[in-house]
Amino acid sequence: MNNISRRDALRISGLSVFGAAFLAACGKQSGVVQSANILSEGAVTPTTAIPEGVVTDTVLLRTAASLEYSAIDLYNLILKDGMLTGDYAKLTDAITRFRDAHQTHADSVNALVVSLGGKAHTCANARMDSLYIQPALKLVTEKGNPDASRDIVALAHAVENICVQTYQGFVATLTAPTLRADSIRVATDEARHAVVLAQVLNGGYASVGPTNNEKTGKPNIASVPAAFGSLSSVLLSIGAPNADDLKPTLTLETPSLNGLIYDFVDCQ
Amino acid sequence: MTTAQVSTPRSTPPAQPTEADKQLLQFAQGVELAARDLYKKAADSGKYADDELAMLTLFGEHHNSYAQAMNGLIGKAATNTRNESLYSAHVGQLASAQSAYASLQSLENTLAATNTDILGQLLGTDAAKILASIITIEARMAAVFGTLPALSLTSALNSSGNSLAPKIAQAPAAPTETTVAP
Repeated sequence: MNNISRRDALRISGLSVFGAAFLAACGKQSGVVQSANILSEGAVTPTTAIPEGVVTDTVLLRTAASLEYSAIDLYNLILKDGMLTGDYAKLTDAITRFRDAHQTHADSVNALVVSLGGKAHTCANARMDSLYIQPALKLVTEKGNPDASRDIVALAHAVENICVQTYQGFVATLTAPTLRADSIRVATDEARHAVVLAQVLNGGYASVGPTNNEKTGKPNIASVPAAFGSLSSVLLSIGAPNADDLKPTLTLETPSLNGLIYDFVDCQ
Repeated sequence: MTTAQVSTPRSTPPAQPTEADKQLLQFAQGVELAARDLYKKAADSGKYADDELAMLTLFGEHHNSYAQAMNGLIGKAATNTRNESLYSAHVGQLASAQSAYASLQSLENTLAATNTDILGQLLGTDAAKILASIITIEARMAAVFGTLPALSLTSALNSSGNSLAPKIAQAPAAPTETTVAP
């Protein structure tokens, strides 16, 4: 049964006529004189095709190595710039040990890369640095931040958690069971770093498990934040507090496809 | 921005646990149940109160969750029985608070090493993902015992634990059938 009324039919036909006229005005029939000169105006710049990134075991491990170097660079900066002051200065030994552990991990992971026929990657992950670490450092070091030492430790804690999550997440994609075990072995070391930093930032028995900040409702830093290792984003509250005494919050995530270190990516 | 695609591995690992995987996961379930019972023993001892007791109870619940996760992975193949050898090795050391913490840290390190060893043998990716998420938390729980009641960096970073995992060989992959048109 046809339910279109006479009024509907008039409306539809009106729209059709308008649409046809509009399309005609946009096309060749619009009265514009075709000219061959338009095509020859300026030289066409030759384009270079973007290499196709294929995710392989080697790419995942090179990405892991790049994160190790991001952590090493952060710890070197903390030590070189003397960013641990007051009570936090006691952490200098721990930070030094963590930095050295990340170097050991980077060397081990790169050794695996080479054994698989890949090229070792010996510099930081540029995308993770530009997306997360540099903006975080800017917040930590900005004027008016009364907790710069505390905040740099919080950043280190967040980076350790990202490293753990990256290795844990790669287990699902690595094809060889032995590589999965190697990956998680490194993750467990870095999980231990995270616990030490978590206890410095929010110590005591009551803070071991998950709790929430009463004022913001956001999760507090916890040594054991859940029963199972999470792969979700890591929240980081750092920087000078606003009028409500709330610090800006950054959201860090593990490397996405754009942050992987493909075979064609080199250190600059 | 680059284009990217996930490559198809040379041989795609199965998602579901293989028969060998199931035996490995049965073992993993046994050690998790032993850990659950050890924490219960510690919590019921009356030596701990308030936040400390809550933490030990939480850790015990985590291990119970891991055993249940194994149930989900292996279904009817689950035995749901604790590993008596592991339980006996630690239960005597829960008598004093000081030795209990050292023992529970050693237990967590043993579990992390055992499950990592199992992860290195598993073919099924479903189980591998879950086990990976368990291992990172067990390492964290081990480290907690190095930070409380007072921080000892050396103890917190101590990862020495011997794997108890059996070595179970995977069955050789079945040849792929190819149908040839006449």
